[in-house]
Amino acid sequence: MPQERTYRILIRPTGTELHAPAGTALRDLLFEQGVEFPCGGQGRCRGCRVRVEEGTAPVNDAQRERLTEEELKNGWRLACQCSLVDDLVVELRQWDAAILADESPFAFEPRPGLGVAVDVGTTTLVAQLLDLATGRVMAVRTALNAQARHGADVMSRVEYACSEGKLLALTQLIRSQVAALIDQLLFSSKAKGDEIRDVALVGNTVMHHLFCGLDVEPLSHYPFEPRDAGLQKFSAIDLGWNLSPRATIRFLPCLGGFVGSDVLAGVLATRLSESEELGALVDLGTNGEIVVGNSARLLCASTAAGPAFEGARISMGMRAATGAISQVTIENQRLACHVLGNTAPQGLCGSGLVDAVAAGLDLEVIETSGRFADARKEWPLAPPVFLTQGDIRELQLAKGALAAGFRILLARLGASLDDVKKLYLAGAFGNYISRSSAQRIGLIALPIDQVSPAGNTALLGAKLALFPPAGEDGSYARLRQKIEHVPLNADPQFQEMYVEGLAFPQHAHVPI
Amino acid sequence: MGLFEEMQQAIIDGKAPVVKELTEKALSQGVKPGDIFPQVIIPAMNEVGRRMRDCEFFIPEVLIAARASRAATDILRPLLVGDDVARPAGTVVCCTIKGDLHDIGKNIVAMMLESSGFRIVDLGVDASPEKIVAAVREHRANLIAMSALLTTTMVNMKAAIEALDAAGLRGQVRVMVGGAPVTESWARLIGADGYGKDAPAAVELARSLIAA
Repeated sequence: MPQERTYRILIRPTGTELHAPAGTALRDLLFEQGVEFPCGGQGRCRGCRVRVEEGTAPVNDAQRERLTEEELKNGWRLACQCSLVDDLVVELRQWDAAILADESPFAFEPRPGLGVAVDVGTTTLVAQLLDLATGRVMAVRTALNAQARHGADVMSRVEYACSEGKLLALTQLIRSQVAALIDQLLFSSKAKGDEIRDVALVGNTVMHHLFCGLDVEPLSHYPFEPRDAGLQKFSAIDLGWNLSPRATIRFLPCLGGFVGSDVLAGVLATRLSESEELGALVDLGTNGEIVVGNSARLLCASTAAGPAFEGARISMGMRAATGAISQVTIENQRLACHVLGNTAPQGLCGSGLVDAVAAGLDLEVIETSGRFADARKEWPLAPPVFLTQGDIRELQLAKGALAAGFRILLARLGASLDDVKKLYLAGAFGNYISRSSAQRIGLIALPIDQVSPAGNTALLGAKLALFPPAGEDGSYARLRQKIEHVPLNADPQFQEMYVEGLAFPQHAHVPI
Repeated sequence: MGLFEEMQQAIIDGKAPVVKELTEKALSQGVKPGDIFPQVIIPAMNEVGRRMRDCEFFIPEVLIAARASRAATDILRPLLVGDDVARPAGTVVCCTIKGDLHDIGKNIVAMMLESSGFRIVDLGVDASPEKIVAAVREHRANLIAMSALLTTTMVNMKAAIEALDAAGLRGQVRVMVGGAPVTESWARLIGADGYGKDAPAAVELARSLIAA
């Protein structure tokens, strides 16, 4: 019997060398290396493009539709459309970012045993092992969500789950991945599974449904109402996890629409519901989530902000990793770019994009309409990285959606922007973004001293849920009663406010 | 600058009050209402389309320009009743497909088609196959322009085309599709007559489908 032919793949610039049998999908090989497939590997976007430096990777129709002739000639391919027919040297364009784990101090009621808090993100998972007696974090583990190969954003994940038998597969995938993370936490801290008393998981509504094995079909179309948004409790036996059968495993309840327990956790972490002053929490991601309110009432919403903040759909966009321009400032009327990892610039990540546009506005290279002032098509930042007219438009779409959502929630509360005393920026992007640039482009309309990066509020909230107040079973019924979900797409004013919110502010807001 | 050029510029700049004033001025000077469409509004909106395609214009500018062109058409339409020039280039049923509420793109396409001389029957958002069939029948539409912005809702385009088939209307109406996740190959797959990648492309496509 002839032996199956094996090919060698060298990945640049990491230098990783892989061997795989002929016909292996490049997608499966590269996913392991942290490459993401934004459209779920269906050849509908350009997110997974790689450059084949040596070797042959055949071009198909999907690639001809998405890549220009010039790009194809230069070796660019969509990784999701290629399988191995030759030895390859492949240059990656995507990089794994440092995942934000929370290390903030928090108040707690001591109890015996260990607990695990898990932030089930669409892109990344973060799990922490805690000593419930001291509140000390004993170990942290992060991973890319293994479901991501079936779509980078929640909608493509939902689409995949809607096909026959795939929901079960996604559910098993995430459950076993979280189990593996817990095993690693235990291993690294030399603890035993039966010491774990409590596991609290948070995530958006789609992650909630996929973990719990609930049908996501209702989330695939208007009115986007979840089937069962409540608290879901499991035993280790239900999940096939190697923990004590007495351990409680809870996925915290959602708030409505796509707004899930990650935002509920955010409210717990920022204590928005405990203050009489009006406060807001904004999580900037592919879905921008917004909460505004105080101890009397809170409103929440999600907007399809588009992936610009994560560097996707930006011509030279990339994640915040080595080679990304993460900061752009003006020094002596010239641009100064900071590149992550002190290497040559390779692309632009979300924070760099916001900075670049803010600088463009200040230098009057970009008009407030978003147009380049001198009708140019692109603006070099640091060779070979440049900003295109289309990139600015993507950013405008993202910030317009967020601004409109914010205004609608404020209007529903009968409040104005001046009433908001505190704005928390959650998530990795909230940590890296320059607040003054965010203000310059109109993403934030509050004075800078009222805006604070809040870190991974989802994980912090999940940890707090391990120490619930007396009588609280994790359903947070009273708190959820106070939080109302506003479906923005059904609001007749949304479109008008969205279009109004696309332009950039005339002048920089002068902080007090 | 001649009056027509001035009017065109006012539309491109999105100055609705100026467009209204200049349209009235033109009419008072004896310009035939039927000349304003082909010599002012259509070329102006073609220019708006070009700028949109070149990324010079973005959604707000396009919407404002389309509104400005409406300042002229609102005055002209009543004057053109029964006139040959006023006969619409075709009747287009526009909608976002069932399950989909994202209508900014659809609205831009509808406005551009309208200022290119098409009669628009706008079904708004979340239009079911039944609603589309009923509208085609009632308005004797020549064209359908439907849009989807989600991969999960674009499958409903296929359902709409099948419903037209079942109703025996497929022979009399051309179907064009668009929206971010929609592609040329998707259009072919579901049996649509064409795909427009943006609003200017949709206008060209509508013209060519009507001429065919």
